[in-house]
Amino acid sequence: MTSQQPSTMSDQSANTSPEAVIVAKDVHKWYASNKFHVLRGVSLTVNKGEVVVVMGPSGSGKSTFIRTFNALEDYQKGTITIDGIELSHDLKNIDAIRREVGMVFQQFNLFPHLSVLQNVTLAPIWVRRKKKAEAEAIAMQLLEKVGILEQAKKFPGQLSGGQQQRVAIARALAMQPKIMLFDEPTSALDPEMVREVLDTMRSLAKEGMTMVCVTHEVGFAREVADRVVLMADGLLVEEATPKEFFNNPQHERSKQFLSQIL
Amino acid sequence: MTSLSSPPGDLAPPPEMRDTPLNWIKNNLFTPWYNGLITVVIALILGYFFYTFLTWSFTEAKWDVIPRNIQLFNVGRYPRSQYWRLWVLLGLICTLSGLSWGAIARNVAKLYSRNILIGIGCAVVVCLLFPVPLPNRLLLVGMTGLVVGFSWVGQQAGRKNPKFGIWVSSTWLLLFFIALWLIGGGLFLRPVSSNEWQGLMLTVLTAVVSIVICFPLGVLLALGRRSPLPIFKGLSIAYIELVRGVPLITLLFMGQVMIPLFLPDGMRPDRVIRAIVGLTLFSAAYLAENVRGGLQAVPRGQAEAASALGLSTPLVVILIVLPQALKAVIPAIVGQFISLFQDTTLLAIVGLVELLGISNSVLANPQFLGRFSEVYLYNGLLFWVFCYAMSASSRWVEKKVNTEH
Repeated sequence: MTSQQPSTMSDQSANTSPEAVIVAKDVHKWYASNKFHVLRGVSLTVNKGEVVVVMGPSGSGKSTFIRTFNALEDYQKGTITIDGIELSHDLKNIDAIRREVGMVFQQFNLFPHLSVLQNVTLAPIWVRRKKKAEAEAIAMQLLEKVGILEQAKKFPGQLSGGQQQRVAIARALAMQPKIMLFDEPTSALDPEMVREVLDTMRSLAKEGMTMVCVTHEVGFAREVADRVVLMADGLLVEEATPKEFFNNPQHERSKQFLSQIL
Repeated sequence: MTSLSSPPGDLAPPPEMRDTPLNWIKNNLFTPWYNGLITVVIALILGYFFYTFLTWSFTEAKWDVIPRNIQLFNVGRYPRSQYWRLWVLLGLICTLSGLSWGAIARNVAKLYSRNILIGIGCAVVVCLLFPVPLPNRLLLVGMTGLVVGFSWVGQQAGRKNPKFGIWVSSTWLLLFFIALWLIGGGLFLRPVSSNEWQGLMLTVLTAVVSIVICFPLGVLLALGRRSPLPIFKGLSIAYIELVRGVPLITLLFMGQVMIPLFLPDGMRPDRVIRAIVGLTLFSAAYLAENVRGGLQAVPRGQAEAASALGLSTPLVVILIVLPQALKAVIPAIVGQFISLFQDTTLLAIVGLVELLGISNSVLANPQFLGRFSEVYLYNGLLFWVFCYAMSASSRWVEKKVNTEH
């Protein structure tokens, strides 16, 4: 394993499982403003039902990388295929992919002018063209699942950070996505609220949701992840099972990173 | 320590902070001694002005100039035989206002609270004291009755039918065209030329029409200025900066004097329409900048989260970005509306006979020579009433849409 390049490893896993839902090949990105080469040829394959945790120091491009999966960031070289659809600049194509990919942000990004229930039903009503009653029924189920049913009529500003993040998860799930992306979902939370959000993510993983999580939560990665990926300086440095990654990191950069966070 | 150990269920209430009025005055106005000095000096100055104003208004002022010309002030030289059309219009406005009030307050248990009743009482008194002939005063009281009566109807209808609010809003739009028909005539009604649309009626008409049109225009310009498409962006910036570089009076003169020069005789638009166009185009540029400020205040994450849910760009703007942007700049927008309302007085300079214009012609009447103070005070009072109403409703809207606690 050690001698293999990360990119070939992802190719291998793509071969063993035919149900690859995210295939990123040699993705390069330069920032438009300062020509900074933020992604320098990253390849990753995520199979259906897999939970992949992306770790790495800040500025390593990990958030930028997963944001390319739903075209919140564009890229200049390489290919990304989501659920069989290749990401291109065609707007229809992008909308089709965004419908299948849910995303949870570090800053929650709930819509403050809408109630919790309206936050969750907005996209099903306007994008999936669901009837209001039907969308609300689904939303109530999801809110119950994430444990905030009784707050449905409140506004986001009246909830704690942990509750807001759980609403954000429910909002993404309401679109019945095939893939969920988590961009540092617990980094903006008070310590005592991290657990409630991680618990929600854990139960989601148990249900077989395909998840890509950028996070610094080592406990979550150990317990839930199928694979841990380390990114540094715009490159994918190491890709391994959590057990191997945390107990026996192969790459020098991984060892250095782990020594700082463990 | 006892307060620390008590369970959260019975936390201590805040201590009572009651104060007698005398103590309050002593503490806030006369402590320390130099505050007392300032209080006395300012009280003397204010008292002097107040005293002179009161003695003037009860001894020297000849207020009869107002009641004797009240119809001129209100509608100018609008043909007397057609006054009934304006009463019908006022009645429709009152009815619809009542219905809207009821629809908005449909979830309020007691529609006529003590404060509201006091307000209704004041309105009735004002109607009875308004210096118009007695039958007209009774008609005005009837108008108040329409508002109050239909508010109850609106509340009942709003409770029964959740779509009632939308129905009322669209009726307002319809009323806009009915108003133009009632004022201007045509279609079974005797046409009244826009030269005869005058007085307070013309002031309110131009202001309302300009506000209604300049708002969407301003929003579009603000969006255009932030558009990634260079053509929209360039045109919006050019328009906004061009208009903001020109005084309103210049635009109005251009509308009244230049446009007729360029257009053939038959195509000359109406004078009132030209004035409205000038006001609208001017205000839209300023409004656009206010709205742009609001757009910039919406965090980027909002649009990102909405796009990530699969919403198309127009939907992101309409459902997520604009509501938050407009909410953030309600005070600035209403400020723009208020100054637009006041800017209608400039129409007097370009020859339209709105409230200030008719006031000037009243003052030119040898019978009422030199009654400047009375007439302009009356104008000021009317403007204050309208502008205060606007700013009060803006505060009410702000409170209503505030979702952060």
